[in-house]
Amino acid sequence: MPVLVLDAGNALFKTPMPGDPKERARAELLLEQMGELGTEAMAVGARDLTLGTDFLVKAGKGAKKPKLLSANLVDAGGKPLFPASTVVTVGGVKFGLVGLSPEGPVATQKGVVGQPPVPAALAESRRLREKEKVDVVVVLAALPYLEALSLSKVAGNAVDFIVQSHESRGPGVAQRNEYATLIPPGERGRQLARLELNLEGKGPFVDLTETERAKENLRILDTNLRQAKDRLATLKDETSRRALEETVASFEARRKALVMQTTPSTQAPGRSHRLSYVSLGPEVADDPEVKKRVERIEPLGSASH
Amino acid sequence: MKLRPTLLALLALLLTPLMALAAPRQVVLLFTGDNGGELAPCG
Repeated sequence: MPVLVLDAGNALFKTPMPGDPKERARAELLLEQMGELGTEAMAVGARDLTLGTDFLVKAGKGAKKPKLLSANLVDAGGKPLFPASTVVTVGGVKFGLVGLSPEGPVATQKGVVGQPPVPAALAESRRLREKEKVDVVVVLAALPYLEALSLSKVAGNAVDFIVQSHESRGPGVAQRNEYATLIPPGERGRQLARLELNLEGKGPFVDLTETERAKENLRILDTNLRQAKDRLATLKDETSRRALEETVASFEARRKALVMQTTPSTQAPGRSHRLSYVSLGPEVADDPEVKKRVERIEPLGSASH
Repeated sequence: MKLRPTLLALLALLLTPLMALAAPRQVVLLFTGDNGGELAPCG
């Protein structure tokens, strides 16, 4: 299956403010290795700006490096510092990729400011849909979760996926609010989020794991319902019986909703996705050359290793 | 020229199973994020 590798930002530095003597070497190695992995694009987040935008623009140059994107980061003259988006075709599918940075002044680079991200994302996503005729719009949102959530609620059908990074929330489930789906990308190199897309049909992407979760919840609920009914059959006290009858009624209402979720739709199947995570633990072998370079920056036994 | 409709019908018959077997459009997106300067993740 064709693969597209992306980064949601906040990749390069441990903290948003400088202070670590190894931070430059670490950031440069990370950018280089992201390029080796084939990372197509990356959003510029708060923890990518620790050494300022001058450093990032310079370090991000190179054919193999990921494209650094930000639709809302501007210099003192209001000029964009990075491309707002890029378009890439993978497996015959045209993807529009938009980058977003946090709102407000950048403490490490005088005059640089993040403009309000939601209007910037909407304008760029609509342009990609209308002018570039992309099939899928992915917003790489290096923003606080609540702002990414706001974007998902107002984006309408301009955006398909919003991949959020900022607070290191770790892995989670896909969350669709209106049309767009919020995706947590994992954190600290411990996981890789894998989003399998089926692109037949039109409309919002349906989460295939939702049906699987509903089936599992239904199985648990049926066990609880059976136990509650068995207990009800033995209860004599009227007050206890009434309380348990209410519980059984609420279980049955919940069951009805779950059965509906697990019943296959009669409509034609549309676009769908399935989110899972690949854990990057000790079972994933190290590259000996890269390991040597890592150990020069973070020696074995050091606090950060 | 008389053979043309027959040939077209044959061609349609031959192509139908191929079209039915065409693979659905699928792509895998791999995401990283919030790496936070991590070079040596310890599980």
